[in-house]
Amino acid sequence: MQREDIQIISRYSDLTEQAVDEALKANVYNDKIAWQKFLRLFFISLGVCFTVSGIVFFFAYNWENLHKFVKFGLTEGLLIVTVIIVLLPKINANFRNIILTAASVLVGVLFAVFGQIYQTGANAYDFFLAWTIFVTLWVIVSNFAPLWLLYIILINTTFILYSQQVANGWSMVFVCATLFIINAIVLVSAIFWGKKKIPNWFLNTVALASVSYPTIGIVVGIFNIDQTSFPFLVLITALAYTFGIWYGLKTKNAFYLSVIPFSLIIIVSAFIIKISDGGMIFLLVSLFIVLSITLTIKNLLDIQKKWTNER
Amino acid sequence: MKDKDDIKILLDNFQKLENRPIQYDEDAIVSAYQKDNEGQSLPIKILSIFGGILASLAFLGFLMITGLYNSGVGLLVTGGLLIAGSILSIKVNDSIIIDTLRVSSYIIGFTLIGFGCEQLKLDENIISIIFIIIALSSLIITQNYILSFVSVIIINGSILALVLRNNAFNFIPIYISILALVMTYFFLKEANIITKSKVLSELYNPVKTGLIFSFLIALVFLGKKGIVTISLGYILYSSGILILAIVYLISILFNVLDVTQTREKINIYVFTILTLLPTALSPAISGAILVILLSFYVNYKTGFVLGIISFSYFIFQYYYDLNFTLLTKSILLFSSGLIFIALYLFSSKKLIVNEKV
Repeated sequence: MQREDIQIISRYSDLTEQAVDEALKANVYNDKIAWQKFLRLFFISLGVCFTVSGIVFFFAYNWENLHKFVKFGLTEGLLIVTVIIVLLPKINANFRNIILTAASVLVGVLFAVFGQIYQTGANAYDFFLAWTIFVTLWVIVSNFAPLWLLYIILINTTFILYSQQVANGWSMVFVCATLFIINAIVLVSAIFWGKKKIPNWFLNTVALASVSYPTIGIVVGIFNIDQTSFPFLVLITALAYTFGIWYGLKTKNAFYLSVIPFSLIIIVSAFIIKISDGGMIFLLVSLFIVLSITLTIKNLLDIQKKWTNER
Repeated sequence: MKDKDDIKILLDNFQKLENRPIQYDEDAIVSAYQKDNEGQSLPIKILSIFGGILASLAFLGFLMITGLYNSGVGLLVTGGLLIAGSILSIKVNDSIIIDTLRVSSYIIGFTLIGFGCEQLKLDENIISIIFIIIALSSLIITQNYILSFVSVIIINGSILALVLRNNAFNFIPIYISILALVMTYFFLKEANIITKSKVLSELYNPVKTGLIFSFLIALVFLGKKGIVTISLGYILYSSGILILAIVYLISILFNVLDVTQTREKINIYVFTILTLLPTALSPAISGAILVILLSFYVNYKTGFVLGIISFSYFIFQYYYDLNFTLLTKSILLFSSGLIFIALYLFSSKKLIVNEKV
């Protein structure tokens, strides 16, 4: 019995408040076990988050008097202690993974301290590159979704900083195309070669990033035609979107079937605005959006109806 | 989709709870299931709302560029027609398929009325009040999910606009306290509200989601330093209300978690209040915790995710705005982190002991 069942039946019957309340508590609301699990996860996440931020702030405070060996010693000492905790045999897997995530953040702190002492700058791309490289093994070994997310954010950041600081003259379209490829590869490998069950929020976050980059890239490309990588981006986007739609249909996943059409609608709207000028065109775009979204929803509903009938 | 047999089983379950035969309208239930089956999926709701917003933005661009907003009366009439059309269209065809069209014409209607009032040199306060009246009437006339949700957001936005326009910033904490109490009532009294009347039952889901959004939007004014200046007393007052709401929720949680000993209860109360007191200057943190706990209590996933995201943001903002040196902040964070880790270890240990018993 789900919330919708209780709502609909209570709407068209003379159920009393008490019966509805009991049904909700027994079937819908979280029970004792769920609460215990949630509270413990909440405490440990807050605990580790606060402790690690405390450590980050500690080193961000400019210690003029502290000798550099003391700074390095402290950071590395903390790192060693956390890694030892991870290696203890008797702790549970979730706790181990959370601590390993904390250790991965500490690696970043270590490189930041290095940058602080030798004045290499805190936002240099090589700082993020080193951080990314040196946590790779832990990411693979733990196979922990939040740590993977941190890793992907690090890769994205490193690449964006590299494109701004080192590579002169990379166009926005090229940067978006590359980021699109990187994130799409991560997504596809997670879907097809992931060994254990990967949480949906992780897949959806990466998918959202994978769709956002080509959307931005193509819209920018439409308004600045002279970008050489534009045809390439359009081509790979077309291929990837076709694949995404096919995959969405095959796995009965409405997320892909709504995100990809939405991206296409934005791209086509930008194209309509580009090919003509004058205010009237915006009226047309407005109508186009309403019409295309309506069609998308109608198709989605038809498909979902088919799915439920197949079950 | 559920057929008559499935519905029969569900009703039998209720019959057991009530110990008496239940009166029900079977045809209405079957057709409600048919409709509900269409509208349940979250991607579709998000698509229609985002589509509506995008289309309205494009339309706004059209108005700005063509400059077709000179006739105040014309704008008012068109806006009114659009809003009336979107509301009345539900009576003709309530399919979710044309929801995007409805949302777009609803939002564009409000925009046009706003522009129209501006052209007629009406006071901005009056515009806000007109918006609130229209949105409220729409809630009474139709209980369509998306329109009701947008209406709640428009009412909240208009109230905030009223407050900001009149520089009555101290009203924000009061408004937040009221919202917090209404929201808590809404979550904890679900059975009471949905059995009261058919209209309330249909409004329940969209208004609940709308309330969470409104509450979190209003909290940003307290969570980020420097947007508006609010007297300290009012901030502390709203913190007090929020902490009380959390404590009340915890007293209900004792039943779920089987906490019966008075000493244990007092310890938990004291710990909760001591943990929340340092955040008294930033009520947004307690507010986000309230959203998280309420949503988890009734198993409402969207609210839970929104709560977690806003909690992370408000915590970040809190430490960012704090006027201490980085060293003091570091010590504060580090020690509170250790407390939570200790709490984790303590609760795990207690759990193991319980399981052994």
